[in-house]
Amino acid sequence: MKSRSNIEIRRCRPLLGTFVEITACGRDERLVGRGIEAGFDAIAQVNRLMSFHDPESDVSRMNRDAFPKGVSVHPWTWQVMKAARRFAEESHRAFDITVAPLLTKWNYLPERCYRFSPGSTSRDIFLRSNYEVFFRRALIVDLGGIAKGFAVDRAVEALKNNGVKTGVVNAGGDLRAFGPASRFVYLRRPANPTSFAGVVRLRERAVATSGIYFERRKHDGHYVSPLLDGRRGQTARELISVSVAAAECMVADVLTKVVFALRAKAAGLLAQYRADALLLERDGTPSWRFHSPCDTGDRTRFD
Amino acid sequence: MKAEFVFVALPISALVAPSAFAVRYFTVEQAQQAIFPGKSFTAMPVKLTGSQRKAIQQASGVRVLHDEQQVWRVSSGGWFIVDEVVGKHEFITYAAGLDGDGSVRQIEIMDYRETYGGQIRDQKWRAQFVGKTSKSTLKLDSDIKNISGATLSCRHITDGVKRLLAFYEIALKH
Repeated sequence: MKSRSNIEIRRCRPLLGTFVEITACGRDERLVGRGIEAGFDAIAQVNRLMSFHDPESDVSRMNRDAFPKGVSVHPWTWQVMKAARRFAEESHRAFDITVAPLLTKWNYLPERCYRFSPGSTSRDIFLRSNYEVFFRRALIVDLGGIAKGFAVDRAVEALKNNGVKTGVVNAGGDLRAFGPASRFVYLRRPANPTSFAGVVRLRERAVATSGIYFERRKHDGHYVSPLLDGRRGQTARELISVSVAAAECMVADVLTKVVFALRAKAAGLLAQYRADALLLERDGTPSWRFHSPCDTGDRTRFD
Repeated sequence: MKAEFVFVALPISALVAPSAFAVRYFTVEQAQQAIFPGKSFTAMPVKLTGSQRKAIQQASGVRVLHDEQQVWRVSSGGWFIVDEVVGKHEFITYAAGLDGDGSVRQIEIMDYRETYGGQIRDQKWRAQFVGKTSKSTLKLDSDIKNISGATLSCRHITDGVKRLLAFYEIALKH
């Protein structure tokens, strides 16, 4: 690959609460460098708009004021809110961005003085034209389960718009490869995350992995994690991981949470999004796979 | 659109002593030019006194592990600092560029090191997927470029930057 495109540049910055790495290839070093800057800019922009912690972010503004009066947000935020609501419907709320009160209780998110009506869900979110978001009941949203994938997609777009044809954007495990080159992506072994369970070969596709091995903690004597089933607020406790591959990283990111909650019942939704899924047990053994119906002649499966 | 996605599972082989997964993004000089292009740099390492260490700890709420800090004065008036943080799984060297007023201009990761099970050097392990790839050989150390598998927090960097800002107030400003 290096022989075809002369240089490959890799950069890494702390963003979105994790390490974001951009790898880009091309012939012209300055062009590639500019593309990488544009990629990081896009991610920093998503970070500013969708951070739960930053009081000036769209997410904080929505949590303060979308109920009862509504707030205008950036088109990107609006787009993510719209997708989040759709995924909540399609997954029967296995994925739901309104589980933030529980995440606050378990100290995954900071305590804020937001109003909150018990029982409110993403069905209470209304998206009006002109990028206005309105909550019918007081609720608290957190885009932690979707924004990272969205940010990766925006970074890939920015890189391409700047003339970079081949590269990888990896936001702490949510990654997307673009261009003609195949990439090897290593999946961590859930019970021993500093070792690897397998290798994925990826081309023109995104893969996201969710697992709780870095984040599980005790609360009142029980293990909790920030990975929640939106339907009953049940928390994932097992040391397993779910990887999902899809064309878009946002879709892959969200579907990992859906598979975590629904397991085999997520098959319909995976097929709808032409996504592949792989569930790894604690020792790294694959225990469930889903192969998407594929419209290309290429292999697109977890073999 | 052409797409491919192939997963090759690896056997559970005995884990030998952990070795390191490491990426070098920048040398000191490269990081300097990335954050302050075209500027010149004068090394001004700082050795902290006991009371300065204490003051930084108090102001930032972050422990100060070393009493020496690698600092460069930038010809434009800013500061370039190289710092290290240690997490549960990772050991990271990063560069922080501060503008003349002490605000953060840019953070760049220079070195990222992570421990992993040593099975990666195991021949059997390699044999599992060599041949399934388009290439006949796989240079493992250099080919482990992308890892997917749950989010690793960058909280240690965030804490490190907090500490550096307190360091600036207490030891650099004036």
